Amino acid sequence: MGSLSRASKTLKSVRHFSLTHPFPSIFKGNPLYTRLNDHHFGLSHGFCSHPRQNSKENGIDLSNYPTERIRNFSIIAHVDHGKSTLADRLLELTGTIKRGHGQPQYLDKLQVERERGITVKAQTATMFHKHNFRGTDISDVQDQPSFLLNLIDTPGHVDFSYEVSRSLAACQGALLVVDAAQGVQAQTVANFYLAFESNLTIIPVINKIDQPTADPDLVKAQLKSMFDLDPSDALLTSAKTGQGLDQVLPAVIERIPPPPGKSGSPLRMLLLDSYYDEYKGVICHVAVVDGMLRKGDKISSAATGQAYEVLDVGIMHPELTPTGVLHSGQVGYVVSGMRSTKEARVGDTLSHSRSVVEPLPGFKPAKHMVFSGVYPADGSDFEALNHAIERLTCNDASVSVAKESSTALGLGFRCGFLGLLHMDVFHQRLEQEYGAHVISTVPTVPYIFEYSDESKVLVQNPAALPSNPTKRISACWEPTVMATIIIPSEYVGPVITLCSERRGQQLEYSFIDSQRVFMKYRLPLREIVVDFYNELKSITSGYASFDYEDAEYQQSDLVKLDVLLNGQPVDAMATIVHNLKAQRVGRELVDKLKKFIDRQMFEITIQAAIGSKIIARETISAMRKNVLAKCYGGDITRKKKLLEKQKEGKKRMKRVGSVDIPQEAFHELLKVS
Amino acid sequence: MLKSTFTPVFSLFPAKPRTPKLFYYSNITNTFKHNPPSVRRNASSNTILTTSTTPLSQLTPTSAYIHLPFCRKRCHYCDFPIVALGSSSNQPDDDPRILNYVQLLCREINATKVESKTNPPLQTVFFGGGTPSLVPPKLVSSVLEVLRLKFGLSSNAEISMEMDPGTFDAKKMKELIGLGVNRVSLGVQAFQEELLKACGRAHGLEEVYEAIEIVGSCGVENWSMDLISSLPNQTSEMWEESLRLTVEAEPTHVSVYDLQVEQGTKFGILYTPGEFPLPSETQSAEFYRMASNTLSDASYNHYEISSYCKSGFECKHNLTYWRNKPFYGFGLGSASYVGGLRFSRPRKIKEYTGYVQNLENGVADCCGNDSVEPKDVAMDVVMLSLRTSRGLDLKSFKEAYGGSLVFSLFKVYKPYVESGHVVCLDEHRRVVPADELSTALLDVDRIEKSLAYIRLSDPDGFLLSNELIALAFGAIAP
Repeated sequence: MGSLSRASKTLKSVRHFSLTHPFPSIFKGNPLYTRLNDHHFGLSHGFCSHPRQNSKENGIDLSNYPTERIRNFSIIAHVDHGKSTLADRLLELTGTIKRGHGQPQYLDKLQVERERGITVKAQTATMFHKHNFRGTDISDVQDQPSFLLNLIDTPGHVDFSYEVSRSLAACQGALLVVDAAQGVQAQTVANFYLAFESNLTIIPVINKIDQPTADPDLVKAQLKSMFDLDPSDALLTSAKTGQGLDQVLPAVIERIPPPPGKSGSPLRMLLLDSYYDEYKGVICHVAVVDGMLRKGDKISSAATGQAYEVLDVGIMHPELTPTGVLHSGQVGYVVSGMRSTKEARVGDTLSHSRSVVEPLPGFKPAKHMVFSGVYPADGSDFEALNHAIERLTCNDASVSVAKESSTALGLGFRCGFLGLLHMDVFHQRLEQEYGAHVISTVPTVPYIFEYSDESKVLVQNPAALPSNPTKRISACWEPTVMATIIIPSEYVGPVITLCSERRGQQLEYSFIDSQRVFMKYRLPLREIVVDFYNELKSITSGYASFDYEDAEYQQSDLVKLDVLLNGQPVDAMATIVHNLKAQRVGRELVDKLKKFIDRQMFEITIQAAIGSKIIARETISAMRKNVLAKCYGGDITRKKKLLEKQKEGKKRMKRVGSVDIPQEAFHELLKVS
Repeated sequence: MLKSTFTPVFSLFPAKPRTPKLFYYSNITNTFKHNPPSVRRNASSNTILTTSTTPLSQLTPTSAYIHLPFCRKRCHYCDFPIVALGSSSNQPDDDPRILNYVQLLCREINATKVESKTNPPLQTVFFGGGTPSLVPPKLVSSVLEVLRLKFGLSSNAEISMEMDPGTFDAKKMKELIGLGVNRVSLGVQAFQEELLKACGRAHGLEEVYEAIEIVGSCGVENWSMDLISSLPNQTSEMWEESLRLTVEAEPTHVSVYDLQVEQGTKFGILYTPGEFPLPSETQSAEFYRMASNTLSDASYNHYEISSYCKSGFECKHNLTYWRNKPFYGFGLGSASYVGGLRFSRPRKIKEYTGYVQNLENGVADCCGNDSVEPKDVAMDVVMLSLRTSRGLDLKSFKEAYGGSLVFSLFKVYKPYVESGHVVCLDEHRRVVPADELSTALLDVDRIEKSLAYIRLSDPDGFLLSNELIALAFGAIAP
């Protein structure tokens, strides 16, 4: 399964939490919120919507760059270790952007990325750099050969393995950036292994050495002990002061091998990413592995068999820069008249229509690991929400969307996300870019239930599971994750307690150095989707770093927990929990609802039930009095306004049977783990 | 004539609220040639359509509310537009502030446009405040004189005045009676010294008894005892005592106001509704029930949410409000409802003075700027009539706003008829049982035949009137 994984950062990440969005509750302090500079969600439009049409003036002749003059690399790091700043500096150093002209975090274009200081949209930038390779005896800089460098700013991390494998598939090396003061963190570990397993050349970069608490030697020692990286290979930099930056590109050129493609072979290129541009249609990011691509070529998709004509081709330098051609080993963009990003399957192999080629090893298909119902906050806005979701998924094909309906919330959608951050970003973009206000139901993970007749169902919506099934359930499985936790050793006790409360199983326990402990746990995915990271941070004063990658399903004792109001189940509040936790979760749900549902004209019973067994119960007594005294001097306007407000309040509520449920109640339920 | 012209417009409204309004424009403007021209001439076509409300509100008002804002001090619960005279003013007879204000008030009345000389004279005048009884009778007299000259004043008009204990003696009372004041609304509020003190009243218990005595001895036949329930630290025993003493004083009318804690008042700063020292919601509901029971037992009719009276002693002026009939309003912060438009005057003396000047110069009118949609009027009618025991008259409501609105109202109210909060009545005011309602609901025509009124029950429906009226609003304007 290719999804989720996330790491952490320390307390200073608080700034990322300030934004407002429709799901304030569950994500506060979630690792997904804060972390990672490198996420790719297949979200969309980048910096390319206003291409320069000046290839001639640029005088870029790509034929001058055979594969041995090309280096493809990415930068990978734990969140806030300085990846985006380093990328900015490299773009400036090569003159790709002018210093002070580009906005900081140049490659992060979306509002959501800037607000959160994260990258959710992968980007690629082509840079040119003159370098005297292997110390050849050339004294005049003008005579030094120019190298074409592709910085592929994609997830250096395992959040979504198919996305990660995609970005790494186009690279031969990676800069592993580590904060000189914070040292190796959970995400650094995950990053390293990804790059390592992809056989990439790894260049360790110890960044932020200008900090007073920087301890590069300690970090070198950690890199040696954890990853067996030679301390003398590490570059010492400060992207802030510029110290050591001149060493970075030479190291990239000297140490990272050129792409291995064969220019004489038939064209094979890997579709890395796609997005929708209002003016040009679908724009595909591609890496040409073998052969050569020219404008006007007819190309075909190995996956769909569809043929297209190449209308425009070029490189990102850093905006769309037409070159008319891409040679093997080069990374660029193609406009081919595709109508929807759904046609552009990420990981697909594109080749010339007339030739038959062996498809490149593709990527694992995206697996949706977190599901949630998305409903219009105001039931009448369904069409508006439908439109917004259509527009957004046009640029983010990685969200699965299916219409569903709920008795409580009306018409809406069941959306599948690659992970929690993905879900969160999706919601935020719906609100920010399309003005859609939504109610989201409690995120759930896909469970597998097996019945006595050996039929199996994949449950993405708890409401879809019968509360009193006619067939006996013989087994259930739930998805798990492999979690990496790095903490100062004094917090080991409480963290182990937390993990075992969350039904975790310890797989590894070791010391990184004298003060810090590295642990690996297998945890049920459901146990971490809501507030695990929050909890972890709070018990470790913010010092824990955390990351996870998905692991296999495990058999588990699961039950469906229904919430009933006046005896009527509220489908949107149903949830699937471990049998041993059902009592506690049921109690919590009932208490939350009691707090957030106002007294109404009739008494309300709130119950939590497993099948027909009630496990928690509360009542809200009927409203006693709601009356306004007189209309003074006949001035009824104020009173009427009050009553109209009361009416509007009712309108915003969701009605189940005779009970009005305020929207906040749904938001609050997201917080119950 | 008016009614028949308007009916087509309204019967279309519920089904097609977005029907282009221009179509009706000519139709309606023609009608307006015969209409009291208090509707603004410069109104947009939209406004013209929408001001064409029920014929009732288009009539010339026969009621006038007069605001006399002066008080010795501000009570702790009060957020009305008042002018606190302070303790220095022991001689309100000569207070220039009162004199100036009354002159201004008379100017406002005089500057008000009256379209026809044949208008019916005023049937009710209500002096509210503030503490109108602080105003010297000779000034009250001048106000009444101006009203008489301007609008005419029916010889048997109901002329009410709010009076506070300690602000009048028998002499003043007699003078007022001589001027025509024939109904007194006595602001007693409580029969416990500590409660009077706690709510910042300018009088004590002794003045209360004195005032009751004066009202009785001067022969005021129609008077109201005004009480407030749910005061801070008020106990059931205190409330029981207040109700008992009220019944013993034998007023013809009792008003019981449940304390509203308003923002910006002293109580608003100190207290939260339902929390100590205010009675809990349950207790406060209990007070309401006690009042309803005690007063009903003493043969008072609970004819409106907060009003009780002996048979035939309803406050005619207030009935104007509940029946959505037009009324004039004069004075600081007062509200009027003329020509289908509601308007509130400025709440501050300075702004009010400017308003009167503009009115005299013809650059302002008292019609307000809000356009009124038929559904807004429908909400007014529902909100006001459901406050009364008479309830909503379905026949006239249907004629004005269409049968589908009545139907959706019943659909919303059905569970509350079953729970006893809402009562359906036939034309003989017999209760229609809930199960009969269910069958009636199957067929719109049967609603019409078997149901004539809906009202809120006493006390359960009245107690939750906000909730129930808000539900009705939802049915009218979803």
